[in-house]
Amino acid sequence: MKFVIQFFAILVSAFIAQLFLPWYSLAVVALAIGYFFKSNANFLAGFLAIALLWFLKAWWADAHTVSDLSTRVAIILMVKSKLVLMLVTAVIGGLVGGFATLTGALLKYKRKMRWY
Amino acid sequence: MRVFKFFLCLAITAGLVYVLDRPWTIKNAAVPPVGRFLDPFQGFWANLEASGPQIPDAMPIPGLQDKVTVLFDSLAMPHIFAQNEEDLYFAQGYITAHDRLWQMEFQTHAAAGRLTEIIGRGPGDAVLNYDRGQRRLGLAFGAEQTLKSLESSPVTHKMVEKYTEGVNAYIQTLDYKTLPFEYKLLHYKPEPWTPLKCALLLKSMAQTLNMRDKDMEMTNALKMFGFDVLQALYPDREPVSDPIVDKPNGWKFKPVTLDTVPLALPDELIQLKKLPAEPIKVKKLPSSDPTTGSNNWAVSGSKTATGSPLLCSDPHLGLNLPSLWYALQLHAPGVNTMGASLPGAPGVIIGCTDSIAWGVTNAQRDLVDWYQISFQDNKHDKYLLDSQWVDTKRTIEKFVVKDGPAYYDTVLYTHWGPVTYDDTFGDQSNPKYYAFRWISHDPSNEFLAFYKLNRAKNHGDYMEALDHYESPAQNFVFASVAGDIAMRIQGKFPVRRQQEGKFLLDGSKSSNGWRAFIPNDQNIMDKNPARGFVSSANQYPADGTYPYYITASSFEAYRNRRINQTLAGLDHIRPEDMMKLQTDNFNLKAEESLPYFLKALDSASLTPAEQKARQILASWNHYNDKASEGASYYEAWWNSLMPLIWDEMAGHTLENPTTFNTIYLLKEKPTFSFFDIVNTPEKETATEVIRKAFSQSVVLMEKWKNDHAHATASWGDYKDGYVGHLTRLEPLRVYVKAGGNRDIVNAHSRTHGPSWRMIVSLETSGLKMWAVYPGGQSGNLGSAHYVDMLQPWVDGKYFPIPFLHDPRDPKVQYSTQLHP
Repeated sequence: MKFVIQFFAILVSAFIAQLFLPWYSLAVVALAIGYFFKSNANFLAGFLAIALLWFLKAWWADAHTVSDLSTRVAIILMVKSKLVLMLVTAVIGGLVGGFATLTGALLKYKRKMRWY
Repeated sequence: MRVFKFFLCLAITAGLVYVLDRPWTIKNAAVPPVGRFLDPFQGFWANLEASGPQIPDAMPIPGLQDKVTVLFDSLAMPHIFAQNEEDLYFAQGYITAHDRLWQMEFQTHAAAGRLTEIIGRGPGDAVLNYDRGQRRLGLAFGAEQTLKSLESSPVTHKMVEKYTEGVNAYIQTLDYKTLPFEYKLLHYKPEPWTPLKCALLLKSMAQTLNMRDKDMEMTNALKMFGFDVLQALYPDREPVSDPIVDKPNGWKFKPVTLDTVPLALPDELIQLKKLPAEPIKVKKLPSSDPTTGSNNWAVSGSKTATGSPLLCSDPHLGLNLPSLWYALQLHAPGVNTMGASLPGAPGVIIGCTDSIAWGVTNAQRDLVDWYQISFQDNKHDKYLLDSQWVDTKRTIEKFVVKDGPAYYDTVLYTHWGPVTYDDTFGDQSNPKYYAFRWISHDPSNEFLAFYKLNRAKNHGDYMEALDHYESPAQNFVFASVAGDIAMRIQGKFPVRRQQEGKFLLDGSKSSNGWRAFIPNDQNIMDKNPARGFVSSANQYPADGTYPYYITASSFEAYRNRRINQTLAGLDHIRPEDMMKLQTDNFNLKAEESLPYFLKALDSASLTPAEQKARQILASWNHYNDKASEGASYYEAWWNSLMPLIWDEMAGHTLENPTTFNTIYLLKEKPTFSFFDIVNTPEKETATEVIRKAFSQSVVLMEKWKNDHAHATASWGDYKDGYVGHLTRLEPLRVYVKAGGNRDIVNAHSRTHGPSWRMIVSLETSGLKMWAVYPGGQSGNLGSAHYVDMLQPWVDGKYFPIPFLHDPRDPKVQYSTQLHP
């Protein structure tokens, strides 16, 4: 349950932050969520939340355009197809999200230790 | 331990963000900041547009004086309605930038020789050398002259200033998310637009259209072959005659004459009859593609179905994306004009007003000369001019290089212009100094001509507008609702002596320069000729009685005759007939040469593949349709034949004779010494060289079919045409399977062709326009309007372009209100 809460908290808050702020704002958001909501798999929660968010957003943009720009960018970046490009996008976002969440969670864990 | 883990994770996170937010160079390829670029919220994914309007219903824009309404039709073409002229050009700048900003900036950077700022020095310094060439040709120098001139006229000063403000107002609205795709990919930001950039754009067009010359090549040919052979290879006027204006003895004026040297061949060359003089070895800057050209014509009401004139214009240029042209309508008190504009220049360049229409083709004329400079010493501070040592003007050109130290080049300016080629540029083994004289270095104000054309009501207005037009010289076709049709070849043309301009000139005598220019009213022009139409297709401009000496790098020989023959044979002409003619694939060159080529195969023993090829060619209808196989075999044959005939030219600074003259010589002088292939022991004549080229081409065709796993080689496949992106990135190319070719009315060769096809019917009940171009209105690769006109263009289809008056017109798809 904690994992699910953490996962959605990251997904929703990163979504809102990214509407207004540069892409790396997701790291700050994920770090903060990691700090406030902890789970047994902090990295995984951060990774999956941002990866899913980025994948869905990229897929959505591509699904609603008649252009073939994503395929052309895939060729420029030497990946196989636009689907692979979406996955690469997801993994890159996910890595930053995962490590940021883990960082936040570690900060919290240490402070809790002192209280016990 | 936790502390350590925390800091480790923090470091990894920060490190990732750092690495993903900065650009890299991997194996010499520039990679944009990966995280920022792939961010689906603001990175390149944000450039993928959903269909529908991309602009809000209303927008406040600081700088406007009053409300401006912009209506968009189904092609996303803006129809701008302003309350005053200032707002009109402001809005044109804003809206054009909204669709084409990256292209506008890239093209003007390219013109100014500033591409290293965006893409670095390039492999083998290719980009740096391109930039150096642009600076040494003085493109920016010419633009500055034009800027001074346009700023001295209050009308054009305001026009360009307001356009600039509009572009900059758009740039102000941009953030990373809304930045055009190419800025994200190449990782840089737009700089403010300036009036100089508008001028640079004109110079860039002038470079494409009016900078071709073969002075060094001709000088070499003279040295190597002698004057008589030179005249046979490169006649001033080819034995094919259908000039743009044909009115023998109709030139009723007293021409300007030059009483000095009757023959302007350089002194040291006049006596020279094939002496062992050392040829010039300069690696010349690539001049524009010789297939660059255009068609235009106007038909009088006496020959049309409606009784009103029809005007057609299709400029042939390098086909790129985003497209060269941007179609729009401009409406304000005193002006209502519509047609093709150049992104980066205010006004409409080819189009109509509510009373007249005009179009352009390039005027073939030599407007370039090269002067050899004698410097006093290696310091190059002084050079010889009229027996005196004159000071050189030295400019230090700084090249800002992306990801590297700046590069500096020194360009020397002389009385003639910049010294383009010297011991540091042009790859010379026998260094000499050549200064560049170009008509487009002179101050001129073409914007005033377009300002006036955009307001013209009749033939008199058109004539008055063109009086302000100097460069690049164009053949302006005209038609009016009042029923007039006209043609005028307008530009600033030096009065030349016989042979002048064809060869390198001695830069130490100012008398070798341009002494006078042809007065505007003595330029070649015609109005309402008896044949009922006017036309131009880059051919020789006038009949032999025109009193001025005319020379150019080449004149077109086929399209013009096909157009004139067709127009002469038509009556009750409808717009559909004009569409058919603009997209006509008939290959007149093949009709005139193929029977002769095939005769050369008589009595030759042919391989089975050759026999089949011969059969295909013999039954071919001489149309370069995209499905035609005969066209592929003919073009392959021709492509093998030219280098085989002119093998003497390879490796030297020489130019091949024209297509027309090559065929003429093959037919008329079959034993001409050049038909002998240099590296074979036997002595070939026309027949043998044609046969050898045939065998070569059939081998190449068989190989092509094998490589592509095709049983047949249709012309569309074999030509393999494409429209490239301005960055030259291969994945951004769009391939097309189209008919036509150079020397054909539908002049689509592999990468060049009709960049805008327009037909205007000048009916008294309201003027109608049909047009299409190989691209789309949006410069955004992620837009539905990026290439939406490309396939219709390939298929020879046209769009009716609505000349709008009312915002409630059903042809309006969406609109926006710009207000202060």
